[in-house]
Amino acid sequence: MKFRDLIIKNIFRNKSRSILAVIGIAIGVAAVVGLGLVTDNLSASTQNALTAGAADFSVVSGTSSGNNGGGPPGGSSQLINQTYVSEIQQISGVNSTAGVLRTMTNLSNTTSNSTSTNTTSSTIGGGNFQSMTTLIGIDNSSLSMDDIVITNGSVYSNDNEVVIGKNAAQSLNKTVGSTISISNQTFKVVGIYETGNFMDDNGIVMSLSKLQNLTGDTGQVSLVLVKASSGTDASNLASTIEAKYPNELSTSTSLSGMNRMNNGLDVIKSGSWAVSLLAVLVGGIVVLVTMMKAVSERTREIGVLRAIGWSQKRILSMIIGESLVLSLIAIVVGLAIGIGLVELLSTTQILQGITPSFSASLILKGIGVALFLGIIGGIYPAYRASRLSPTEALRYE
Amino acid sequence: MNNENIIEIKDLKKTYENGVIKALDGINLEIKKGESVSIIGPSGSGKSTLLNMIGALDKADEGSINVAGIDLMQEKDLSDFRLNEIGFVFQLHNLIPNLTVLENLQTPLIETVISDKKMEERALKILKSVNLADKINQKPTKLSGGERQRVAIARALVNHPSIILADEPTGALDSKTQDVILDLLLDIHKQENVTLIMVTHEHDVAKKAERSIYVLDGKIKEIKKN
Repeated sequence: MKFRDLIIKNIFRNKSRSILAVIGIAIGVAAVVGLGLVTDNLSASTQNALTAGAADFSVVSGTSSGNNGGGPPGGSSQLINQTYVSEIQQISGVNSTAGVLRTMTNLSNTTSNSTSTNTTSSTIGGGNFQSMTTLIGIDNSSLSMDDIVITNGSVYSNDNEVVIGKNAAQSLNKTVGSTISISNQTFKVVGIYETGNFMDDNGIVMSLSKLQNLTGDTGQVSLVLVKASSGTDASNLASTIEAKYPNELSTSTSLSGMNRMNNGLDVIKSGSWAVSLLAVLVGGIVVLVTMMKAVSERTREIGVLRAIGWSQKRILSMIIGESLVLSLIAIVVGLAIGIGLVELLSTTQILQGITPSFSASLILKGIGVALFLGIIGGIYPAYRASRLSPTEALRYE
Repeated sequence: MNNENIIEIKDLKKTYENGVIKALDGINLEIKKGESVSIIGPSGSGKSTLLNMIGALDKADEGSINVAGIDLMQEKDLSDFRLNEIGFVFQLHNLIPNLTVLENLQTPLIETVISDKKMEERALKILKSVNLADKINQKPTKLSGGERQRVAIARALVNHPSIILADEPTGALDSKTQDVILDLLLDIHKQENVTLIMVTHEHDVAKKAERSIYVLDGKIKEIKKN
């Protein structure tokens, strides 16, 4: 019989206790990996949206509270006159401009073939965040300015056609050729688009004039996307525009937009770490208590092993070995729970638009957590067991 | 140390609870290599403490104790000494319940460097000698009291120790099984020329050894040849 065989036999000796320890460690692993998958995806999605945009910056109302740098998610904000689109185009160093109207609507009252809602104001309808769809109005020639890439079908060519984001298409069960009803008007879905931004991918894009007509915001836009000419510094150009329209307009570059988004992401990441830490702590306590109990129940046996010639080091190795084997089992269970849960939830409304992206570092983090818990949870009981006086251990009832 | 003596104890003292309980109070004893000795006395007399001192399970406060050429008062890690020189047999067999008979016999050998094959060969040979060859794959819970104690004796022998220390080896057995186990221990002692020290509180058991040492209040009151 090999030493490792004895360790494995000891683990299966009290199955319920071992299962408890495995669950304890697995919860820690699942929390770290599962929450990591979500926050990593949010981070990648935001960076993608903010850095890959064709526009260098956006111009919004000087009194607006929101921002839409390079085409990130937009909600309600102060609208500006559409005439700014052509005015800004005239400024030296501007390559191109595009007016964009953005609003949000609730399309949750979906049927399989048609979707309807009332579009009456800047933010349309009520409903919770999960069920909100972004409506974007932009001229079909300027789609690339807002980072919109058609992946299936074609661009809309008239006011009765729309393109729909891949997440919205999924949640509303729409495809190219379907119809969708917004504010009692029926539109034909002619294309599916992708931006890499989970909020925008949950949107519907139509011509600017049509959305202005639907919302009653004729001659108004939420923002003006601006692309600087080659060789022009986008930051300087943004400053020039702000200086030209003091108190009227403000600009938002991708970088500043990213900083603000990153602040938000930092909060999400901190929250996810706090939850993970709590799970790790609970896991650690479960392992510690389980191993302490395992050692306590086997006190007399440890005394016998010392009496027949086992060294303190051998006893220590045995208990830590048992703890590590439990950790190895928990790695498999924890990764399966963490990844499986995120995969499952990503197909539901809860994590809509989140595509889990697996990275070696995240898996290593999970493995690290399990081994850390196994060693920490096992080391104290192992130390205590190895320090037991053989005579006292043999007297233990 | 006299070459004939395997154990030499001089003025050995051990107290517990900050000196309140005098477990051993100046023990002087010499035991020859290959001798069989019984230590007899009432409960709390110090006989088990003396056995634990010889087996290096506990350390004395004062005096000297030399076993198989090793000064137990000086050595710090005595696990090697226990592994190579001592075979323990307890009143309760103390076998590991989730291991088979064969695996229980192999547990002391895990600390050695012998191969798995030799480990198994050695365990099987000893199990045969105690008539348990047909029980090697049984768990201790499926064995009778006498069989369990025979496994415990086999485990004590597996490392070819020079001394067998048996603490009330027949204390938990019926009288018929008691005789079988005692005869087995004495046979092994004679055949292997291994030193046998038995702790007992029964005179009939004690008389089976070559010498009986009567312990009372931590002191040796009488040593007599049987």
